[in-house]
Amino acid sequence: MKINEIVVISGKGGTGKTTLVASLVPFLGKTVIADCDVDAPDLNILFGNTVKAEDEFIGLQRADLNKDICTNCGLCYEKCKFNAITKDIEISKSKCEGCGVCEFICPVNAITMKDSVVGKVFISDTKYGEMVHARLIPGEETSGKLVTEVRKRSKELANDKNINNIIIDGSPGIACNVIASITGVSKAVIVVEPTLSGLHDLEKVYKLADKFNLKIYVVINKYDLSKEQAEKIEEYCEKENLEIALKIPFNRKMVEAITKKEIPSLYEKDFFEKIGFNEFVQKLIK
Amino acid sequence: MRIAVLSGKGGTGKTTIATNLAANKKNSILIDTDVEEPNSHIFMKPNIEENIAVKVNYPVVDTDKCTLCGKCGTFCRYNAILPAKNNVLVFEEICHDCGGCELVCPTGAISYKQREIGKIHCGKTKYDINMKYGDLNVGEVSGVRIIEKLKDMTKNEEVVFIDSPPGTSCATVAAIEDIDFAVIVTEPTPFGVSDMKMVVEMLRRMNIKFGVVINKAGLGDDEIYDYCKSENIDILEEIPFDEKIAKLYASGDLLSYEIESYKEKIMTILSKIA
Amino acid sequence: MKIAVCAKNEGLKSEVDNRFGRAENYVIYDTEEGNAVTIENSAKNEPSGAGGSATRLLSENKVEVVLAPELGPKAVDAIRAFGIEAYRFNDVKTVEDAINKYKDGSLEKFITSTTNSKHGLHRA
Repeated sequence: MKINEIVVISGKGGTGKTTLVASLVPFLGKTVIADCDVDAPDLNILFGNTVKAEDEFIGLQRADLNKDICTNCGLCYEKCKFNAITKDIEISKSKCEGCGVCEFICPVNAITMKDSVVGKVFISDTKYGEMVHARLIPGEETSGKLVTEVRKRSKELANDKNINNIIIDGSPGIACNVIASITGVSKAVIVVEPTLSGLHDLEKVYKLADKFNLKIYVVINKYDLSKEQAEKIEEYCEKENLEIALKIPFNRKMVEAITKKEIPSLYEKDFFEKIGFNEFVQKLIK
Repeated sequence: MRIAVLSGKGGTGKTTIATNLAANKKNSILIDTDVEEPNSHIFMKPNIEENIAVKVNYPVVDTDKCTLCGKCGTFCRYNAILPAKNNVLVFEEICHDCGGCELVCPTGAISYKQREIGKIHCGKTKYDINMKYGDLNVGEVSGVRIIEKLKDMTKNEEVVFIDSPPGTSCATVAAIEDIDFAVIVTEPTPFGVSDMKMVVEMLRRMNIKFGVVINKAGLGDDEIYDYCKSENIDILEEIPFDEKIAKLYASGDLLSYEIESYKEKIMTILSKIA
Repeated sequence: MKIAVCAKNEGLKSEVDNRFGRAENYVIYDTEEGNAVTIENSAKNEPSGAGGSATRLLSENKVEVVLAPELGPKAVDAIRAFGIEAYRFNDVKTVEDAINKYKDGSLEKFITSTTNSKHGLHRA
């Protein structure tokens, strides 16, 4: 059985990606929820904090210096291309990309590569199914790998429990964490706001998503904030043959729902029905 | 003086604050280090005078010298170089350019070539200051090298405003390293508070002084104020939620140049930080 | 001849794994001897390029044929460079099923062409 993995992404953050994911969840039937926005994991705020399992996540190995053996010869400083070793031989953990050059070059074996924890992975129970989420230690790299781990665990849960759908809150941007969010999914939803920069960001993230073999839907959020920009986005979508699957008008009640830690689509049921949310859901779970 | 504007999540108004601050500070320069989705230039409308390609190295193997001993493949922790049966494969997009394969190669068969991962665009803006912005090519995994180059190019400038990448990952760390002050832009929603906490944790770990601008004030609740109070965090200014601002943003205009009361707010922030 | 199958557990009765480079294990079946050994995939937790690294592991184990459900572009390149043949399985439960289907000749071959000019790939 092929699992239906749906990822919601946006070029820039703050377009309403998490709000949309949360709104979809109660309507998807049996689903696993995967929060891959590991920099800003916010879904658990709406679904309550009921963590039932947590693991430290080792993202990479990093250089560890034994000062007692080090002769301050400076070779590692010279060879490190990431500026992770200072002239007086101090290792800056956050800059170390774990390549192992310093370990190799050190003539007295003062450097060893050691496992480095970069974040945590959690599994929580929610009213609508299990949720896998993670938290990158602030300032850490390898968020792409952490995203991959969240995806892997979600798939395991779905497989074990015969669940058809996985809904993924993707990361913003276009780099490694986004690529890790999209790889291998069946459908991608791009959330965009009707602004000049929104269109610009949509173009970039679409170019990325288009490299993968998947069905793409566009959602214009707060589309009535600028009719002019919304039209430009619609023109762009038409040109690229992109399906606009949902247009959500600005509604203060959405923010109110989030503030009350309620799920917007349940808090504002009529509003969602009116904009064709149910039809949109059907497309995603088909 | 280097001032970074950052936010835990995207869409809080980071670019709005960064562009307005820079446009109201004579002789400053703005760099947009949100290279995955740079937006500052949409508001600053620079006249681009120079485009600089940012390049990284990747290895190439000289087949005449290569003995297929396999040492490069064993060393590379990213599996970017793979000695196979009759040749050596290089997967350049996952190469971190650490130089390790060249170091371990016993026959000197490895050298490096360069490829472009993105560009830096430089120009004078409509608001009489200079700006530079990075733009990462689609499909590339990391923009950190572009960010480092942007920082390096502006290291001798008097006042630099940095529009940072959102979040707290390695790209943000690269953007805010060695800065004097950080302005966190957040919004008064549970998401805004949660994401801001991660930024505060990062800034404290890095020993960077910071203050907060609360954007879209009035839209959510008071949790952010309680949090700032309990953590002794300075609130520099509040910008109310205002549909006029949303409309200006949508069309790419700077609010401090359109609405006098917002100019005052920007000047207040400037007086506190620069 | 040795055939490797992506597997979640050990032995011929193991469930197949739906990943190649990050598969848990490989069950290697020897057609001459008629027996199978399981090796752990040492590449499964690599930060990047697991497909290439896994292919190298299989080559070291003298594998000539790989049965997998999906292969990424890097894995395809690597498999080709090591002179290994790859076949796609789907709708099979166990390693044994996959091998039987291979023997029947009912699996589709992954690599049909030996030319490759994929962008971004530099050959020695």
